[in-house]
Amino acid sequence: MHITLDVLRRFTRLPDDAKATRVLLDEVGIEVKRVDHDAPGVPMTLELLANRGDHHAYNGLATEISGRTGHPVALPEVKPLTVGDSPRELVLDSDLCTVYTLTRLVKKADGQLPAASLDVLASAGLQSIGPVVDATNVAMLELGQPTHAFDAAKVSGAVVLRTARAGEKAWPLFEEGPREIPEGILVVADDEKILAIAGVIGCEESKTTEATVEVLLESAAFDPVSVRKAGRALNIQTDSKARFERGSDFSAPLVGAGRVAHLMEQAGWQVVGTTGQVGAFVDPERTIAFNPEAARTFLDITMDDTELAERLRRYGFKVHDGAGIWDVVVPPHRLWDVEFAADLYEELAKSIGYDNTPIGLPAVDMGAVPSAAERVRFQAEQVLLGHGLYEVITDGFYGRQMPANLGFEEGHPLHAHVETANALDRAYSLLKNNCLAQAVQGVADNLRMNVKQFRAYEFTRTFHPDANAANGLCRERKVLWAAVSGDAQDRTWAGGSRPADAIFLKGIVTELGVQLGLPFTFAPVGDEPGLADALHPGRRLAVELHGQRVGLLGEVHPQVVQAFRIKRARPCYLELDWEALMSPRTSIPYVEPSRLQDVHRSLAFTLPHGIEAGAVARVMTEQGPRWLKSVRMVDLFAHEEEGEPVRTVTYELTYTHDLGERSVDELNAASEALIEAVDQALGGRGVKLR
Amino acid sequence: MSRPDVDTLLSDFRTDLAAASTPEALEDVRRAHTGKKSPLKLALRSLKDLAPDERKAFAQKVNETQKLVETELADARERVQAQALAAQLQAEWQDLSLPGVGVPRGAIHPVTETEREAMDVLRRLGFEVVEGPEVEGPFYNFDALNIPEHHPARDLQDTFWLNGGLLLRSHTTTVQARILEQKPELPLRVAAMGRVYRNEAVDATHLAMFHQFEGIWVDEGLTFAHLKGVLAYIARALFGEERRVRFKPKFYPYTEPSVGVDVACKVCDGEGCQACHGAGWVTILGAGMIHPKVFMQFGFDPEKVSGIAFGLGTTRMAAQRTGVTRIRGLYEPELRVLRTLQRGQ
Repeated sequence: MHITLDVLRRFTRLPDDAKATRVLLDEVGIEVKRVDHDAPGVPMTLELLANRGDHHAYNGLATEISGRTGHPVALPEVKPLTVGDSPRELVLDSDLCTVYTLTRLVKKADGQLPAASLDVLASAGLQSIGPVVDATNVAMLELGQPTHAFDAAKVSGAVVLRTARAGEKAWPLFEEGPREIPEGILVVADDEKILAIAGVIGCEESKTTEATVEVLLESAAFDPVSVRKAGRALNIQTDSKARFERGSDFSAPLVGAGRVAHLMEQAGWQVVGTTGQVGAFVDPERTIAFNPEAARTFLDITMDDTELAERLRRYGFKVHDGAGIWDVVVPPHRLWDVEFAADLYEELAKSIGYDNTPIGLPAVDMGAVPSAAERVRFQAEQVLLGHGLYEVITDGFYGRQMPANLGFEEGHPLHAHVETANALDRAYSLLKNNCLAQAVQGVADNLRMNVKQFRAYEFTRTFHPDANAANGLCRERKVLWAAVSGDAQDRTWAGGSRPADAIFLKGIVTELGVQLGLPFTFAPVGDEPGLADALHPGRRLAVELHGQRVGLLGEVHPQVVQAFRIKRARPCYLELDWEALMSPRTSIPYVEPSRLQDVHRSLAFTLPHGIEAGAVARVMTEQGPRWLKSVRMVDLFAHEEEGEPVRTVTYELTYTHDLGERSVDELNAASEALIEAVDQALGGRGVKLR
Repeated sequence: MSRPDVDTLLSDFRTDLAAASTPEALEDVRRAHTGKKSPLKLALRSLKDLAPDERKAFAQKVNETQKLVETELADARERVQAQALAAQLQAEWQDLSLPGVGVPRGAIHPVTETEREAMDVLRRLGFEVVEGPEVEGPFYNFDALNIPEHHPARDLQDTFWLNGGLLLRSHTTTVQARILEQKPELPLRVAAMGRVYRNEAVDATHLAMFHQFEGIWVDEGLTFAHLKGVLAYIARALFGEERRVRFKPKFYPYTEPSVGVDVACKVCDGEGCQACHGAGWVTILGAGMIHPKVFMQFGFDPEKVSGIAFGLGTTRMAAQRTGVTRIRGLYEPELRVLRTLQRGQ
């Protein structure tokens, strides 16, 4: 809302200094977004509380300030109007309007509003249009009561308050032509047409012009929800709507009309006859039981009863004070937001000043420690960060193209998505059911900025359509994903790094298992359709925990990489069930190391293409003596033999003396036995000792 | 038998010693001049062949010469070792202007960092973390929180609607509703954080998804003074003990009274400057006493039970802390941004 300090001063006393006034307004909850200290009148832009329709007028602002300062509020002059015969027949055919008044004014002479009133218009950034429209606008800005003037010559017959009929059309002001009005919204109509969308906007066919010499002035109390729904349905936002939809003062229509009449009379117009009225507002005199002692305890203040009552009265409350519990009656303009004693405590706190009430911490018995879930995440992060991964945060949704790039056809379990019904942006059409698409997009975006090393992870959620879910729509799955591309480490002067590939991700999973005490194992992915379909079939693995699949990793399928227009990069992706990370730790029994050094022997085998290095290791592990402590792959050399690609893998065997000291002959014999075992098991498939 | 000329032996030794510049050469000199077959040792052995009157004087001379040799050898050893060490050190010069080689560590996201810091503060007050779903029903997002249908407050939170009348939560206050619904034992001190969604056109300052952090403290006898105390504690812990804090009225449907918490602008300390648009203050927290209607919704008696609720926009706070002006950048996996925040390059 736009105001000027000069106009606001007419309504209540303010500090001389604009800066102090700004502080005062902030103190009462009227946020000043901007002040132009050098402009005439000192314009201010205010941000008002969403529930306070009464703040949308100088009178309301002044009342709020008065509650804090105690200075009185000065109201503008209002012509007293008498309710009697209506200038037109009035028909109230809807309960969406509580009070409707109609006052007839005729033009006696040319004129315009006084300069002081035009200042009010200017303070809100409104242009002067003519005395009739100006008067309604000024009254609204001053008192918060929207009014509307119809050209009486354009109104045929009775004025009826009713709901719009199916297929009915209206021509709202400033629009190029009539349009269909949704059935059921409240309208003001005559015998032939709709005169106005009640509380929202007038219509072209009854609007006043320079030629108008007689007007019918409407001032009413409309149902806030009705006005709000109508405005939304028609996509029309007006000052009138903003005030009505927050709840107007139902006792104010006659006062508002009286203010307009007063202003128009100064511009050469005259009220003719009495004011017609249909409906009536009966003040419910909402009464709140108010315990002054409870208020003092709540605010931790020692203010006496007299002052408490006086401060509440500043806001318009009727206070029936005395011993014990008081009755506090809510004024009509606050029926919309004051209902409980807590509301009155707020009024008192504002009156005293939020900064002026005491402050104190409640007693705290003891602090809290991170939950098990938080601790697990902290530990997992140590591994991820230690591998140079950055935490990223991606959107919970994406556009349709994003999952399309993964190539999942209809019928694939990841084809279906939860869809947003009203997204303003197409990029938010679908709730994501996977994180792979955004991860690969991240690689692509970074490559476009020439960032080749991509190492990122995220703890997040995906959404999966499931009619059997508790909410009847979808399951939320918590996942940890990581994606890498480029080198495993930044290149340095000391030499290059190996690629950040699926093996790198496998290493991360292994370290996560060590850190979290979870014995992750790896297995082939299998044929079941799923996210693995977007990974390279020859470079992917399932991650298992106690035989249950809890994730997968692998290189992104070349076709997916191509769909994201990535060249010269091979992104790899890891996904783990977040819940799986919360599994109980598997404790590792401690075995005291031998006093004697372990003995190491190395064996190198040449493997044809397609034979896994792990197969050789498995044979040796399974068939080695109990004192074979470990079999580690410590070197890999890819080369050709007889024109065929082969790999030579070096295995480091570690023998322990834990189970008794071994002689060199025993160790050598054990190694020979392992060579024999590998030959027996895999020699037929081309594996041979190097 | 003629006596060896000890002076000549010493002279020869000194000549050899002067020529020795390495530890190895020095060892050769030592062996040659003090070893079992060295001339000096032979000279000593020849004593028995001398006449008694000559023997004593000659022995004395040989011994003195031997001591001289040993002393000079020791000095030379020290000198040569020093020279050798100096040469080694010079040869082993390493260009330490080269950057260090380590495994560069990644970094957690600024929003997570902000959440952690806020939670560290709240843990001191006994708060624990709770979670809730992101796909919600309007009851938990609106109705239970005193935001009835067609209330203007719903406009403040433009909502992403889903099929079946569900929605994406527009604030983390939904978790508050779900926790109260469980009728927990009091006192209740919990915090929720995470993604929230607003159906807004995205620009430099508006996001369709961002992060919020929320806490509630429910107990008997909590007062407005307690609310202010908790808020000031949080504000000062997060923004510095010296930062001035002020409270102002706000409107949130689920709290009454509602409070906004400002801290003095870091640049102007409350005087008003360009950075704070002349306000002098920056709003960091929204808070209030839990609304009686919210308590009644879940069967609590607001006459007996009161509650403190507060929330902060962790995304905006992270942006303020880091200086990131294009907030959208925080939600793109752009490693340049994250790396720059962590390492400055």
